[in-house]
Amino acid sequence: MGNEFDFLTHLPAIMPEIGLAILAIVVLGLDLFLPESRRRSIALVAGIGLAALALTPLLWGPPAVPTGIGPEEQNQVLLFWGGMVRHDVLAQVFKVMVLLAGAFTSLMSIDVNGIGRKGEFYLTIIVATLGASLMSAAADLIMIFVALETTTIPLYILAGFKRNDGRSAESGMKYFLFGSFMSAVMLYGLSLLYGFTGQTNIYALADFLTSPAFGENPVPVLGAMVLILVGFGFKISAVPFHFWTPDVYEGAPTPVTAYVSVASKAASFALLLRFLVAVFPADMMIGGAEIHGFWVQLAAVTAVITMTLGNVVALAQRNIKRLLAYSSIAQAGYTLIGLAAIGAQEQSVAAVAFYMFMYTFTNLLAFAVVVLFSEATGSETIADLAGLSRRSPWLALTMTIALLSLGGVPPAAGFFGKFFLFQAAVAADLTWLAIYGVLMSIIALYYYLVVVKVMYVDRSEDESKPIPMSRPYAWVLGVTSIAVLILGTVGAQVVFDWALANASTLFA
Amino acid sequence: MVPLWMYLFVAAALFCIGAYGVFARRNAVAILMGIELMLNAVNINLVAFWRYQTPFVMSGQVFAAFVFVVAAAEAAVGLAIIISIYRNRRSVIVEDVDLLKW
Amino acid sequence: MEFNIHSIVFLIFSVITLGGGLGTVTSRNLIHGAVYLIVSLFGVAGLFILLSAPFLAAIQVLVYIGAIAILIIFAVMLTRSMTRMTEIYNRQWSLSLVVSALLFVLLLVGIILPVWGPGTANAALQPSELVATTVDLGVAFVDGNQFVLPFEVASLLLTAAMIGAIVIARDRD
Repeated sequence: MGNEFDFLTHLPAIMPEIGLAILAIVVLGLDLFLPESRRRSIALVAGIGLAALALTPLLWGPPAVPTGIGPEEQNQVLLFWGGMVRHDVLAQVFKVMVLLAGAFTSLMSIDVNGIGRKGEFYLTIIVATLGASLMSAAADLIMIFVALETTTIPLYILAGFKRNDGRSAESGMKYFLFGSFMSAVMLYGLSLLYGFTGQTNIYALADFLTSPAFGENPVPVLGAMVLILVGFGFKISAVPFHFWTPDVYEGAPTPVTAYVSVASKAASFALLLRFLVAVFPADMMIGGAEIHGFWVQLAAVTAVITMTLGNVVALAQRNIKRLLAYSSIAQAGYTLIGLAAIGAQEQSVAAVAFYMFMYTFTNLLAFAVVVLFSEATGSETIADLAGLSRRSPWLALTMTIALLSLGGVPPAAGFFGKFFLFQAAVAADLTWLAIYGVLMSIIALYYYLVVVKVMYVDRSEDESKPIPMSRPYAWVLGVTSIAVLILGTVGAQVVFDWALANASTLFA
Repeated sequence: MVPLWMYLFVAAALFCIGAYGVFARRNAVAILMGIELMLNAVNINLVAFWRYQTPFVMSGQVFAAFVFVVAAAEAAVGLAIIISIYRNRRSVIVEDVDLLKW
Repeated sequence: MEFNIHSIVFLIFSVITLGGGLGTVTSRNLIHGAVYLIVSLFGVAGLFILLSAPFLAAIQVLVYIGAIAILIIFAVMLTRSMTRMTEIYNRQWSLSLVVSALLFVLLLVGIILPVWGPGTANAALQPSELVATTVDLGVAFVDGNQFVLPFEVASLLLTAAMIGAIVIARDRD
């Protein structure tokens, strides 16, 4: 090997992962030594530990990139561990997201029957977070595969974690069977990409694919791309690979549902963005066919179908978890608009990052309310939310904030999230897509407001029974709803501008 | 030696046999076996590409080794889930498991 | 292509691999299916040896056959009711057959033959006489400039999968 490997220069790139590995061991040790009565503190250790680790990507930020250097030199500065990970701003932002998602998920599991006092549960969440964190940075086909599976396999475990609950086991099985099939398909596509080029680093692939030695026929590359996108489609639950979503979301323990809908989805979007931009860049032509245009159109069409199906089917749901599942399918559709708007370069990347950032807080907030409600009442139907405003005003208020944010109503963060996405679409000459997105958000508003109406207007006979809330939940609800409100008012432009200014490192 | 495409042919055939198993079988364990066949097909691909194209850069073999690791983890988790569901429902026929709408 | 010992061995292993695969997906009895799976996995191990990857061939036998296939047999025996099942296929088996066959044709005609098939520049590709050894593979796993990061992550994944599998499959607390 020509250049000596210097451990210390490579360490900052994986600081969060090292912290997560240590935290995993600590949690496992606590599970072993703490008596049953004090196991509750495991959740606190895991939650606070993950929240503290969310600072590490900020403390050990990416190295400064000198301005005016070409893509090759830029990659030399930013690629670490033999090209396995790229330590850039995109990775930084999404790592913070998944770590926070892990932290809030741990805290909201604390009083959940059957999982709250199990150290193994938090261990599995921490390992899944480690995978998701690496997914945000992975820059090599091998690393992508290992990181994807390190996220997904623990999620199968988490979905089936309540082993005495038939619904949880069934959810785990469906997730496992679909997930491992889809990852096998995706893996075949990855192996073909490796075969085309003999390379595994995604930043080296594009050069080989466009070289004349490879050939003039675009079909093989498109075929491999479609196989890989099938895997991604599953992960972000884009139609037509969404069919597992409602069942898995409904059956899995609710904190797990929250985690799957947020961390796994955000990390998949980060990886998808990085992968497509690096491997099939804007000027890529093979045999006269525009490879770039193909996936952009594919993303636009998928966005339309996904938004439509998610929103229309959500209208008919009676179970709050299924409603949120279809809502999350629709949200993936909106985010795909940002991906299709990649012609707007930095603006599109910043819009996707901002949308996922605010969606993380919003969905965690909504699911935290569902966790509290269903643990107290044992019910998950929307009709049973009746009178929530009188049973527990704070719960109803925070749920309303979450639903307004999902629906895109100011002052909640969802409004600016959608605004930036549609703005990027217009900037990329996809005005029709932006208009369609606006129409879809209006339809979606209906089913979100129905839930608000049920909580505030409908009466029920249980109104005198308050819903108990322990301190960790109060913290989760408070922090996430304040974050949603800040991102929807004063914080929106600041965060977006920061993302916009730094997104250029993604484009070589 | 035989040309590279013959290996790829065998791999593609094995991949599609596995996919058929996943699509057509009713039993969760049988579906898992189909997935294992698909992963093996990928491994034939990877090792053949490595041998014929870049025999001195180890990435193909390394990739294949990680597929082993993941396959092992997947099999362990999957079979645990299947056993758990059997305990709950006395069945691992995918269509019998319908508490949630399939 | 002239017929030499290498191509005959290739043919034998390919037939074992694919025949075992077909047996796996068509066996009524799952124990038979698992045995066919082992046969198929042996065929793949043989192909690995032909491709000068002896380490992977050994892993194939040890991990795939020794651990995964045996785990599957255990699972079949623990969930025994379906070894005497009357129908093995779901209602869409004929559609599945068409889809799988179509997928095969698409992969072959769309991707494999145009890039590597006879008549292309890659068809004449012959493997080099010299090839990297298992030592090189070992170095690649632990070299900081190569694959040490996924290697370490994979070990964490295995730990989590093992603990999770035990938690889920355990009978009582």
